[in-house]
Amino acid sequence: MQREFIRNFAIIAHIDHGKSTLADRLLELTGALSAREMQAQVLDAMDLERERGITIKAHAVRMNYTARDGRQYQLNLLDTPGHVDFSYEVSRSLASCEGALLLVDATQGVEAQTLANAYLAINHGLEIIPVINKIDLPSADITRTKEMIEQTVGLDAKDALPVSAKTGEGVPDVLEAIVKRIPPPKGSAETPLQALIFDSWFDPYRGVGVFLRVFQGTLHKGQKIRLWSNGKVFEVETLGVNTPKPVEIEELKAGEAGFLFANLKNVADTKIGDTITDDDRPAIEPLPGFEELKPMVFAGLYTVDAHEHTLLREALEKLRLNDSSFFFEPESSVALGFGFRCGFLGLLHMEIIQERLEREYQLDLITTAPSVRYKISRTDGDVVEVDNPSKWPPQGEIAKVEEPVILATILTNEEYVGGILKLVEEKRGRQKGFEYVSASRVMLTYELPLNEIVLDFYDRLKSVSRGYASLDYHLAGYWESPMVKLDIMVAGDAVDALSIIVHRDFAYDRGRALAAKMKELIPRQMFEVAIQAAVGAKIIARETVPAIRKNVLAKCYGGDITRKRKLLEKQKAGKRRMKRIGRVDIPQEAFLAVLRVGENA
Amino acid sequence: METPVAAAGIYISVPFCKTKCTYCNFASGVFSKAKYRAYVDQLCADIVGAHEIAAGQQAEFVAAADSIYFGGGTPTILPASHIRQIFAALRARFDVARDAEITVECAPGTLGPEVLDVLLACGVNRISLGVQSFADEEARAVGRLHTRDAALRDVEVLRRAGIADINLDLIAGLPHQSAQSWQQSLDDAISTGVPHVSVYMLEVDEDSRLGTELLAGGARYHAHHVPDDDLIAELYEIACERLSAAGLAQYEISNFASRGHESRHNLKYWTRQPYFGFGVDAHSMLPPGPEPARAGIDAIRFGMGDTLEAFLSAGNAARIAASSTVSIEGALEEELFLGLRLNRGVDLAALRRRYSSALLAGTHQKIAKLCSHGLLQHAGIQLQLTPRGRLLSNEVFAEFLAPRAAPAGGVTDARARHELHTAPVG
Repeated sequence: MQREFIRNFAIIAHIDHGKSTLADRLLELTGALSAREMQAQVLDAMDLERERGITIKAHAVRMNYTARDGRQYQLNLLDTPGHVDFSYEVSRSLASCEGALLLVDATQGVEAQTLANAYLAINHGLEIIPVINKIDLPSADITRTKEMIEQTVGLDAKDALPVSAKTGEGVPDVLEAIVKRIPPPKGSAETPLQALIFDSWFDPYRGVGVFLRVFQGTLHKGQKIRLWSNGKVFEVETLGVNTPKPVEIEELKAGEAGFLFANLKNVADTKIGDTITDDDRPAIEPLPGFEELKPMVFAGLYTVDAHEHTLLREALEKLRLNDSSFFFEPESSVALGFGFRCGFLGLLHMEIIQERLEREYQLDLITTAPSVRYKISRTDGDVVEVDNPSKWPPQGEIAKVEEPVILATILTNEEYVGGILKLVEEKRGRQKGFEYVSASRVMLTYELPLNEIVLDFYDRLKSVSRGYASLDYHLAGYWESPMVKLDIMVAGDAVDALSIIVHRDFAYDRGRALAAKMKELIPRQMFEVAIQAAVGAKIIARETVPAIRKNVLAKCYGGDITRKRKLLEKQKAGKRRMKRIGRVDIPQEAFLAVLRVGENA
Repeated sequence: METPVAAAGIYISVPFCKTKCTYCNFASGVFSKAKYRAYVDQLCADIVGAHEIAAGQQAEFVAAADSIYFGGGTPTILPASHIRQIFAALRARFDVARDAEITVECAPGTLGPEVLDVLLACGVNRISLGVQSFADEEARAVGRLHTRDAALRDVEVLRRAGIADINLDLIAGLPHQSAQSWQQSLDDAISTGVPHVSVYMLEVDEDSRLGTELLAGGARYHAHHVPDDDLIAELYEIACERLSAAGLAQYEISNFASRGHESRHNLKYWTRQPYFGFGVDAHSMLPPGPEPARAGIDAIRFGMGDTLEAFLSAGNAARIAASSTVSIEGALEEELFLGLRLNRGVDLAALRRRYSSALLAGTHQKIAKLCSHGLLQHAGIQLQLTPRGRLLSNEVFAEFLAPRAAPAGGVTDARARHELHTAPVG
């Protein structure tokens, strides 16, 4: 296809604003899928994605559209992940497009996520077409939504397209606008190859598949290609596009998007944002914007049953085949045994991995409190990065701690601002902006320590705003902060898996809350158990679990010894499910409690 | 040398009640009187065919019996003719010793002259009265239908009728109970001069209404007035003290008697003597028949279905809900977790005679550990629970059970936690 008839575009939308429904409608109208073949929301393939209503991995679909001018166009919809944790992937998908639909729910207005991605798209120089969705709903307010788009995103919303993705109303105009308003891609099919990797996945039969956008040159079957970041060379085995059914093709020219297989074994080789070039005739330089993805949130993953450790490793290896942004290495804990230290792009990413491990691999997991990566300057002048409380140096050897800080954008309704301000202040936030974006809608910008976000911030934000607040953030540097390691000791032994890093000013309250929670969760044992919270050698809170006094079965109904034996066996099995630390049996919930203790503190 | 087979105990289950007490987790209930006939007929058929039931389980039938125990439910709810019919069947199939201990459980306030007459006529010589509490408020709260006065009167009535072997059941941990009201109940029990008292602690599980409510944290059935675990432990200790001071020595975790009045029937359970149970959810333990005996099986245990429907269904295969063989390893475990319930404990010298040193080797370390924790003690050749060990006896017994795979499906953690404490907290 000639470049002038190609359009590459993405859809930017908040969760539940109707992105998948609109995508389905476009596929239907262009005849890519018949109504019979439509499985609602084709693009969200993973179960988890469909359940959560978000897109985790990017996809690309090619549609053939006969426009009102009578010409055939090739429309490539490059879908973007819909969550803050995956903003780099979003940026690479957007970099592969010339335009984007900014989809806004006419009953909800612009949300923080949409805003962040819209800015990203504007920065990439994309042509943006505002589309106002859900106009079929009685509470739809098109005028107000246009106002908000103009005030928050700073776009002219005069030509915004009102649609209902559900009923299909207005959707043909969207296709027409894509053709008319989004520019065709630039580039030449003759120059040396430059193609951008914007996603990759693992196919158990064919190895790693790569989604890419060709910017310069031509990619064809059998070609020797080179990956810019590591110099590795592969031969293209298969080229294809999704329509949305995968279809093999012979070549992809500058301006087009599609996928390839090249006998790639390792997803880690195909880094998102990397440039593919021709091995014989390489480009002079890579495409701009490549970054190595760095995990921001860390946690230990352990199996409840120590025997499942190998299964966990295999599961993590398999997941990593599909997700190069997540990292893991073996670690061991005195309390929990052998497990893995895992790094995630963010909290949602962590939750997704955890859920997939439990659901797809039937593993019963204990996750330690999520942590961030601190830069610690030691008194001897060394600087170390620490993301695991058990690696925290003794307090006396620490000269300075720097903690990662994010810039958070929160969009909410006026009535919830009070509660949110209280929350962000409590979380050590520093205000950077407070702005009315419409008569009742407020945009707050705050610098917040990431450490405070990883614990319970999302849940708290949701509850103070009754769900009417959206959050977006990106890493914005470091603060020097007096962080300390808070240890929990059970019967005199520090339980490494319960240690957390906290701001010095919060140590006392957290310590007290945690010790109280442990008292609640640790069952009474044969002896009194002291629970202490300590910073260094200083005990800051103490609770006592009194010794159990009675565990006895009185009656023997009609000589039913079997029942008695079963009860004893059940008790015994219950104990085996606990983790024994020193002489004390600690139930699984105690380790999860660390994640939640902020709530009541 | 073969040890002669001891005489068996016979248990008769009568699962009928006028009302169901809230703490009751037994397979008894309120059924229409129309069911009694069919039940008694099946019961008698089982008794008469007991040797065939035993044969079907590859167990040895033991005809000699020196204890009979009617439990419930409320056995005396049955018409006199039914009771006579059951005894006739028993005496037809078993050689009941002349001095057999024959116990019937009775609900206070239900011992009319007609009932007493039939019990005496049938040779009943021991009565267990389900008093549970002498505090009327406590008895009422769990659905008992009697008063303190009625219970005291029954003891008098029984004595006058010539039955002096009386047991009173008491429960520690009833709703509204306090240390004070409990002492009052104990004093009342002692003042009657009965030679036997059983003290049970409230059991909390999902098989009773009160237990279910407690596990759910609700307030029905006066659940929020149930004493906490620590108080129940205290009540139990008070009972041990007061009863033994009054000459009722503790001989088992829940049982107290003056010298010579220990329950022969209950001792069979703890000392692993044979017993044969008839009726709903009744359990039996018999010596193995020749074939399993050759295979080294120590005993055969089986139980009848635990619902009336199951019991009345056709075919022994369907009616016998659970049956298992006890291996020599299992027998040793049982000796320990049953024998240790007795105050006199387990005779280690006898164990050494019966079990191989290889088998016993596994217990030495556990015994040493439990002794060092103050839960077990040695008294000559006897191994016994300490007073603290009695209250924590499940912890001791669990030690002696061989590790087995966790039950499939698994209980939820919350449930497992509750089961670590058999009674509620708060």
